Amino acid sequence: MAADRHSDGVPPEGVTGADRFRVALGGCPRRRVLRLTLDAWVRTFFGGSAMVTILVLGLIMVFLFREGAGFLPEHHRSLTLYRRTGQEFVDAIRAPLADHQALNRYLGRVRASEVEGLRAAGMGEPDVREAMAAFDEFAARFRGAGQLLRDFADEAGGMALATRNASQAGETVDFVRGATALRALLPQAGVVLREFRETVEAVCAAAPAPRCDGSRRPWARFREMVGRLGASVSGAHERAMAWDPDRRVPIGESLAAFFWGRRWVTNSEWHDRYGLLPLLGGSFCISVVAIAIAVPFSVAAAIFVSQFASAAERNIVKPAIEFIAAIPSIVLGFFGITVLGSGIQWLSQQPWMSWVPFFPVSERLNILTAGLMLALMASPTIFTLAEDALDRVPRAFAEGSLALGATRLQTVIRMVVPAALSGIVAAILLGFGRVVGETMVVLLVAGNRLEIPDITLGMGVLFQPAHTMTGIIAQELGEVPRGGLHYRALFMVGVTLFALVLAINYAAERVVRRFRPARH
Amino acid sequence: MRAIAMGRGASVRAGWRRAAEAAVVLALRGATYAILLAAGFVFADIVWKGAPVVLRPTPPFVNVGFLTQAPQTLHVFEDGAGREVRLGERDFREFQARSGRAVAARSFAHAGGGIMPCIVGTVLLTLGSIAIALVLGILCAIYLSEYSRQGPFIRVVRLAIVNLAGVPSIVFGLFGFALFVLFFGWNVSLLAGWCTLAAMVLPVIITACEESLRSVPAGFREGALALGATRWQAIWTNVLPHALPGMLTSSILGITRVAGETAPIMFTAAYVIRDDLPWQGLGNAGEFFFQGVMALPYHIYYLSSKVPPNEYTRDARYGTVFVFLALVFAITLMSILLRARMRRSRPW
Repeated sequence: MAADRHSDGVPPEGVTGADRFRVALGGCPRRRVLRLTLDAWVRTFFGGSAMVTILVLGLIMVFLFREGAGFLPEHHRSLTLYRRTGQEFVDAIRAPLADHQALNRYLGRVRASEVEGLRAAGMGEPDVREAMAAFDEFAARFRGAGQLLRDFADEAGGMALATRNASQAGETVDFVRGATALRALLPQAGVVLREFRETVEAVCAAAPAPRCDGSRRPWARFREMVGRLGASVSGAHERAMAWDPDRRVPIGESLAAFFWGRRWVTNSEWHDRYGLLPLLGGSFCISVVAIAIAVPFSVAAAIFVSQFASAAERNIVKPAIEFIAAIPSIVLGFFGITVLGSGIQWLSQQPWMSWVPFFPVSERLNILTAGLMLALMASPTIFTLAEDALDRVPRAFAEGSLALGATRLQTVIRMVVPAALSGIVAAILLGFGRVVGETMVVLLVAGNRLEIPDITLGMGVLFQPAHTMTGIIAQELGEVPRGGLHYRALFMVGVTLFALVLAINYAAERVVRRFRPARH
Repeated sequence: MRAIAMGRGASVRAGWRRAAEAAVVLALRGATYAILLAAGFVFADIVWKGAPVVLRPTPPFVNVGFLTQAPQTLHVFEDGAGREVRLGERDFREFQARSGRAVAARSFAHAGGGIMPCIVGTVLLTLGSIAIALVLGILCAIYLSEYSRQGPFIRVVRLAIVNLAGVPSIVFGLFGFALFVLFFGWNVSLLAGWCTLAAMVLPVIITACEESLRSVPAGFREGALALGATRWQAIWTNVLPHALPGMLTSSILGITRVAGETAPIMFTAAYVIRDDLPWQGLGNAGEFFFQGVMALPYHIYYLSSKVPPNEYTRDARYGTVFVFLALVFAITLMSILLRARMRRSRPW
């Protein structure tokens, strides 16, 4: 009926302007334009625009992977150059020096614990200084033990660097000559390394004894670390001997050096490294901390709101929590950097807080501050999804349990929560995915230190600054030359992030599907 | 005797149980309000320190200068009477010209003036990207929900859309930088920012629109089709009018997301500082699309990470955050109210 009247082009009596417009758009369906009916045209139009959209979404992946894929050959070239110039050889020699450096830093900690112990024993300031004289002399001798090796490595490094710089400047470089010159140093390297090891051991054999109980453990740890230094030296020797400038770098190593690389060094004079582990470790630590804080609160809130709250309370609390999701992440980051960071540091410096381990904290911005801000961000996500899951549990479950005489709490704990568990787990996973991908908060609040968070410190890891995958992209993409290795490395980080979040979302979906409660 | 004792034991136990239950419920409630309290604390801090910068107790009740000027360098000096004076770049020059001598002052970059270009930039970015995303998103959703036949291709497309909705925004920034800024050669521009942000919200908008289209009962379509209407007529008269409110609400949610995001525009559209407003100093109309703009979130990022924090730069930071938060919350509130109204007026 209606269609007939429209096809006549005569609008029905008493219609409004809006109706007339509607009729004009929907009218004349059977008229053909270019041999297609209006309906077919509409359909084509929608299909076309859908194709554009799909194309755009496809382009996202194509471009991400295209730019990222170029990383492999380029990184391979860089690694090959690293080997051919002999930088690999020099770094092998230098490795024990880094350990030695770490030991020097640790000696500072040993000294602090000694001094603390002596002071606690009631010793005055001059006496402490006198008592520590032997220690300080030992520390100086220990520090000096690395000098010979350092000089040797610097000399070899200068040769390797000259070759590398010439090669990067585009000159034709005689790699063979440089390699021969470095190879001639091999026997000497063995001698210097052995000497280094012997000097260290000799110095340590004459180490002063611990002077108080409090420093016994640090001393023991120090000795243990010195023991490991010996292994590190022999490892370095082996690697230095194994250096062969003509051996091909397998292409897989280019990928392995990215995923298992422990350092991310850019714009360096020596050799740029693109190792994902510091970023991945930082992202992971921060996300775990955030989720660990967010889950108890948001799941408890979901249980409360869906099971215990009165209708009036629910109508206020639920939108209020969902409103938190609207706070832009940059605002949370801003709050974290201006208020929370200094707030926690101030709190940790108060005398009555000194019983907390690792207080006072030295870094204002650290994993904990980032985790706290992200926890606030993840809470509404987890809350909303978990609350949905709890709401979807069939009412018969709870009614049956209540009818058998269980209390409200028993019903919730034994019936409702287990039935909704898959949904809650999925909510936590999705919250995790959201936290991993968050950029602005971590960029501002995490402290941006490019080191793998030291998990051996236990809870102390909370107070270390860290860098993240999202943060590094945001920080460095603006300043890299297009198409270079660094640029492509950032895209590789993006691809990894993309894959990681996709995997988390996929896992969440699997969890929901696998453990869906039976419906009756 | 024994029965009574047992009964008393049971009642004592029941009392304990009741107390434990009350305690657990109290803990749950405490956790709920702890979240709200934490958010409220953030909110209160920003309002407490930001509102005095933007709002004024006397007419016209807002700090006009803050809302209408571009960011300037702030100069702090002591006048003749030993009072501390804070002046923006322009006023400071005037002051110097008037006093006829060079005044020794400490200066703080970006801490003076206002945030007019940032507000304009954010509004432009949001409107443009949401327009692109809405047109493409609604058309795509109609196609997917009303026209497409189920098949492997459509399933893959749906999967891609759902997964892209969860992809981190920085990844979209990366993509926009590679495609629009470098590959298309648009440089850091409004257009590149629009397209990047649109790509970011597209999956969200498509999913939401499809959902609201599917929530219209199939009987509505079938009724129209049974009366001889074509498919398009059925959609136009019987589906879209009912689905439209839901689509609009979702699009407003999309606006909140677009307005609040920083990561995608960092490399595609945002300038650290630009004194001209987007319509000033243009050679021709086409240049409008290929200029970078300042944006509120990026300005906040810059102020809080690159400008040294002290009492003189504090006002600029908190004022900007306050304005930004007010803007975002206004849009969010609108979407929540709209959704509530829409739920009430659903005809089925």
